[in-house]
Amino acid sequence: MTAVSTLLMLGILATLGFVLGRRRALASVQGDSRRLHSLPHYYGWAVAIWTVLPASVLFLAWQTVAPLGNAGGFAVLALALGGLVWAWLRSSATFRARNAVERAVMGLLILASSIAIATTAGIVLSMLFETRNFFSQYDWTRFFFSTTWSPRFQGDSDLGFLPLLWGTLYISFIALLFAVPTGLFAAIYLSEYAGPRLRAIAKPLIEVLAGIPTIVYGLFALITVGPLLRDYFAQPLGLGNSGSSVMTAGLVMGIMLIPFVSSLSDDIISQVPQSLRDGSLGLGATKSETIRQVVLPAALPGIVGAVLLAASRAIGETMIVVLGAGAAAKLDLNPFEAMTTITVKIVGQLTGDTDFAAPETLVAFALGLTLFAFTLCLNVLALIIVRKYREQYE
Amino acid sequence: MTTETTKMTARSVQVFYGDNHAIKDVDVDILDNTVTAFIGPSGCGKSTFLRCLNRMNDTIDICRVQGEILMQGENIYDPRVDPVQLRAKVGMVFQKPNPFPKSIYDNVAYGPKIHGLTRSKAELDEVVEKSLRRAALWAEVKDRLHAPGTGLSGGQQQRLCIARAIATNPEVLLMDEPCSALDPIATAQVEELIDELRTQFAVVIVTHSMQQAARVSQRTAFFHLGNLVEYGETGQIFTTPRDPRTESYITGRIG
Ligand SMILES: Nc1ncnc2c1ncn2[C@@H]1O[C@H](COP(=O)(O)OP(=O)(O)O)[C@@H](O)[C@H]1O
Ligand SMILES: [Mg+2]
Repeated sequence: MTAVSTLLMLGILATLGFVLGRRRALASVQGDSRRLHSLPHYYGWAVAIWTVLPASVLFLAWQTVAPLGNAGGFAVLALALGGLVWAWLRSSATFRARNAVERAVMGLLILASSIAIATTAGIVLSMLFETRNFFSQYDWTRFFFSTTWSPRFQGDSDLGFLPLLWGTLYISFIALLFAVPTGLFAAIYLSEYAGPRLRAIAKPLIEVLAGIPTIVYGLFALITVGPLLRDYFAQPLGLGNSGSSVMTAGLVMGIMLIPFVSSLSDDIISQVPQSLRDGSLGLGATKSETIRQVVLPAALPGIVGAVLLAASRAIGETMIVVLGAGAAAKLDLNPFEAMTTITVKIVGQLTGDTDFAAPETLVAFALGLTLFAFTLCLNVLALIIVRKYREQYE
Repeated sequence: MTTETTKMTARSVQVFYGDNHAIKDVDVDILDNTVTAFIGPSGCGKSTFLRCLNRMNDTIDICRVQGEILMQGENIYDPRVDPVQLRAKVGMVFQKPNPFPKSIYDNVAYGPKIHGLTRSKAELDEVVEKSLRRAALWAEVKDRLHAPGTGLSGGQQQRLCIARAIATNPEVLLMDEPCSALDPIATAQVEELIDELRTQFAVVIVTHSMQQAARVSQRTAFFHLGNLVEYGETGQIFTTPRDPRTESYITGRIG
């Protein structure tokens, strides 16, 4: 018996259980459903759940140990039949089928949330494991404090993390420098000044930016923004002649981040109670004084949260950096110089011929874990701030 | 009673919200150093008319106001009048206390700061203290001026909002059901305060409580379905109303 046909049979048994359970419950009160503890279909569901649940646990357990085969298939179906009969026997007026189904639903919800949590834990654990391997082969002080990054696959590499951190922070900084004022001003205009009709058109248009795949932004950086910045800024100013640069990647990433900042800030600004605006206008403040002195301070914690979320997006971005800023790890102040980030190097170290025992490969996990720790801190900070803001008006 | 000078004069005021004709041809004189109460069943346009007096209706897109409202001889709807400056002269206190999420001090200092009324920190301190004293709140908050205004009790918050309105040095004070969110003790405190404020301002108060109108006001205007039905001395309105609709309202038959 194959896995598919077993599952099919399980489905048929469950349906049968539903019908039988419902019928038996009704029969136990001579068809007068008002005397049942629960609505009739709950009895059906209770039997169906008892048919499927233990059997599918066995099914999964069997499958992970060995292929199901005939023996397994019959064992699963026998268990399903047993569950069906047992639950069917209980289907009478006094059985609290509604509460039993409720518990099963709750179990399902718990299962779903634990899958998400377990996955996170699994990711962190696997990274931790590989990172430990890396640090057993490579001195951690050299990783965290060395200023050169030059992996050589023959061994004896310099795997200093500082140039990558610098590139990450520099590019993210430029992106935020561009995205935060633009996004915030757009949000203020949309929520405080624009009429409802303009708002209904402009808001979705801005949000379209968030739906563009980052590789498309990367292409835009590579073929448009990069050459433009090189020909009109870098070369005339004598700051180099590289098309890939921190500035290119930063600007394009900034464009990508605008909808994050504007859309969240817009929501937060709209949540500031109208009564505060009225209070300020009623004292003879102008609209912009009201925005600057009452609305923005009231919304500030939420806006900071939005900015931090945008920052963690910027730090984790890869595609735009590869195509916009290049792949050269460098510690430099010139924004028209090519540099690179942690994420790009993680991809770089794991593509091509990889030997999972060499530090040159394992370093990717150390980089990933550091990055994860970094964005986790940012996200936690953002959540704390946003939550604090929520409490203010409740 | 002090001499009765007219502070504001409204003549044939009409207000429309889109097609809804909310105020129909209202004439009222607001006297200085007098508490004028607007009463009437809810939805009759009391708040709408009150907001005409400081042009807060301008902030509602669909609202149109016709007619004229004179303040010391000048029509406040004249294009030369800046509504922002008008609102500094005609202060407003709202139904629900709405302190800014700032310190008590900064709440009161808000108006003086944006209008540049003071030249030094010392002078500003003085204005803040004076306004809080006039709002009968000073004793309760003088030790925590830098605590957030939102941390006060409802009654204290409403007195803070009154102090905030007084601090810009207005001539008229508009109050839209200022006690409806307060408990009886806080209400009594605010009512006492309103009586005291009349020595310096013309006060206009919207209220749904006839007892409150009788207690605090000298003049009463009764609105019904957007019309001003009757306007006169509070005592006369409550004892010998001229219009049958007023009589039914104050005896509790409509409303
Ligand atoms: N912001 C507004 N937009 C549209 N209609 C309004 C608005 N405010 C009040 N109205 C309408 O104007 C009328 C008078 O309302 P209002 O002045 O609030 O009455 P009151 O304060 O006496 O209860 C009501 O019919 C109300 O629906
Ligand atoms: Mg009202």
